Amino acid sequence: MGERLRAALPSILSVVLALVVCWVAIALTRDVKVAGEAYLQMLYGGIGQVPKFLETGSGALLARPLGESAGKAALLILTGLSVAVAFKAGMFNIGAQGQMVVGALAAAVMGAQLSAPSVLHIPLAILAAAVTGAAWALIAAALKLWRGVHEVISTIMLNWVAVSLVDNWLSVGPLRAVASGGHSVAGTAEIHTSAQFPRLLGDISRLNLGFPVALALALFVWVWLTRTRRGFETQAAGLGPEAARAAGISVKQRAAEAMALSGALAGMAGAVLVLGTEYRYPGSLAAPYGFDGIAIALIGNNNPLGVTLTALFFGILRAGGTRMQLLGVHKSFPELIQGLALLFVAGRLVWLTLLRRRRAHPASTEVPRA
Amino acid sequence: MLEILEALLFSTLDAAPALIFATLGGVLSERAGVVNVGVEGQMRAGAFVAAVAALSMPTPLAVVVGMVAGAGLASVHGYLSIRWRSDQVVSGMAINLVALAGGTFLLEALFSPNGTPPIEQLPRWQLPLIQDVPLLRALSDHPGLAYLALVLPFLFHAVLHHTPYGLRLRAVGEKPHAVATLGLSVPLLRWGAVLGGGLLAGLGGAVLSTAVLDRFEQHTPAGLGFMALAAMVFGRWTPLGAFGAASFFAFGNALRIGLASSAPEILDVIPQGFLLALPYFLTLLLLAIQGQRSSAPAALGTPYEQESR
Repeated sequence: MGERLRAALPSILSVVLALVVCWVAIALTRDVKVAGEAYLQMLYGGIGQVPKFLETGSGALLARPLGESAGKAALLILTGLSVAVAFKAGMFNIGAQGQMVVGALAAAVMGAQLSAPSVLHIPLAILAAAVTGAAWALIAAALKLWRGVHEVISTIMLNWVAVSLVDNWLSVGPLRAVASGGHSVAGTAEIHTSAQFPRLLGDISRLNLGFPVALALALFVWVWLTRTRRGFETQAAGLGPEAARAAGISVKQRAAEAMALSGALAGMAGAVLVLGTEYRYPGSLAAPYGFDGIAIALIGNNNPLGVTLTALFFGILRAGGTRMQLLGVHKSFPELIQGLALLFVAGRLVWLTLLRRRRAHPASTEVPRA
Repeated sequence: MLEILEALLFSTLDAAPALIFATLGGVLSERAGVVNVGVEGQMRAGAFVAAVAALSMPTPLAVVVGMVAGAGLASVHGYLSIRWRSDQVVSGMAINLVALAGGTFLLEALFSPNGTPPIEQLPRWQLPLIQDVPLLRALSDHPGLAYLALVLPFLFHAVLHHTPYGLRLRAVGEKPHAVATLGLSVPLLRWGAVLGGGLLAGLGGAVLSTAVLDRFEQHTPAGLGFMALAAMVFGRWTPLGAFGAASFFAFGNALRIGLASSAPEILDVIPQGFLLALPYFLTLLLLAIQGQRSSAPAALGTPYEQESR
């Protein structure tokens, strides 16, 4: 059992416990059979109907649900990384939601207003989302560094400013899609095809460029954190600002950079949503992906690999949630599993104490014998 | 003009109590040094449980049950952050996520996805004398809790500033070690504040589902808990400031809703989004101008450890 696995143990146990508690919740409100069936459907919805696939050998049976899971996972990876990067610099970014909203809007505007070949259009739209998200996050960083305003408070406020301005003004007012052919659509105008992420498997799955982009960004964050001087300094600033300052690290600058990167990642989550699946800024984001990021980051231990694995796992559950609807279990059920897992992870010290006690016991019995 | 003012005052008084209670809940917890970003979740728990309880018992009693539910959720936060010294923001956010998804799940499992069946609302008090006076009329015909919301902030202020308990509560949020030196229990004081905060947030939620509405709706409280946090900060963590800020925000909301229904042409000039963003924007502006350190409790968010100095 390696060091890495031991560090991940509280998270793994928390997720398992959350799965058990939620299973019991269905069993109590419905019955045991429904609970088992609901979990099976969630799994099938996330990774495909494996038995049927083995029977028929039709790859489409797996490709479709896996594409959905990858789409959800891409969003969770990016918002999770966003929160994790800020954490590494000692900042708690609760504002991933707001940064994602402004990023999504920027991507939608860029996608609809600009015409360019795909090779240019897609990167430009992503870049616009990243810059907007970073700018939004930098407001919080500036307030913290210059005015001592705690980033938790400022990012919560910035979330609601962003949601109010975008959902209740821009996307229903100045940027609202011009109704064509009598029926009006919610949100902004549809983006050009040149800005839409290409589907990687053609028509059988909605798997799109967003997933590899998210994985690449996870790799980038890992390299930045562990293999560059800047990343090392950022972690040092987060772990011990005093010591870092004494070592000649510009703590404020590293914190601001990390916050900007955090906002950029959340903004890019917005771009992945708009360019990959929605093709416009939809009246509202529909789900609190930004808050999901907090859960994913903490369950994933704030480490890029952990965040990615956690996001993949919950991406599968989240995509499978829609199938639970068939059994009368709300499709947001996986969010309950995720929330409880976060709650249990918050009690990290409880797990560590329990685990230590278990390990300490055999040792203490051996001492008298010797 | 008088009629418009009267209508505005009436709807402000209808909407403000939930926000005032929740804000006071935030203030109580944070003055003792425990960050309370879980107000939204505690409100949701209070609103849901009160609405469900009211199906089988008198509504006033159901409100009390809702308060207990708010405190129940707060106790999870307290257990993690006081007993286990977890990150208070993390456990608060976890509570929010659990309440959000858990409420939706229970609603679908027990009732219908959109809301609970309608319940009997809290009785409204007809105040004698002022019932027929123009303008003052708006003060009548509210549930009893609305009047409590007008009194409680002053009571809270008196307790916080003029009783030994209030002094200890403030001290535990500023310098917990000093409190411990006096032989008082820091965890106990913090537990009291967290549970009290949960009761108040639960009350705020219960008001939503039993007085403002007549059921629990899927999205209740729809961000009101976060507005309570804004009001708490805007009111500089004091009960009277919180009262002022919450009333001001509630008035802004009433104005917006009133404009949307009676004078939509004004909203063409000033978009609703601006008005919705205003409470949060003003809070940010205030923080930007005066900074935060001057008003936030010094030990806010710092877990208490006997051995640390």
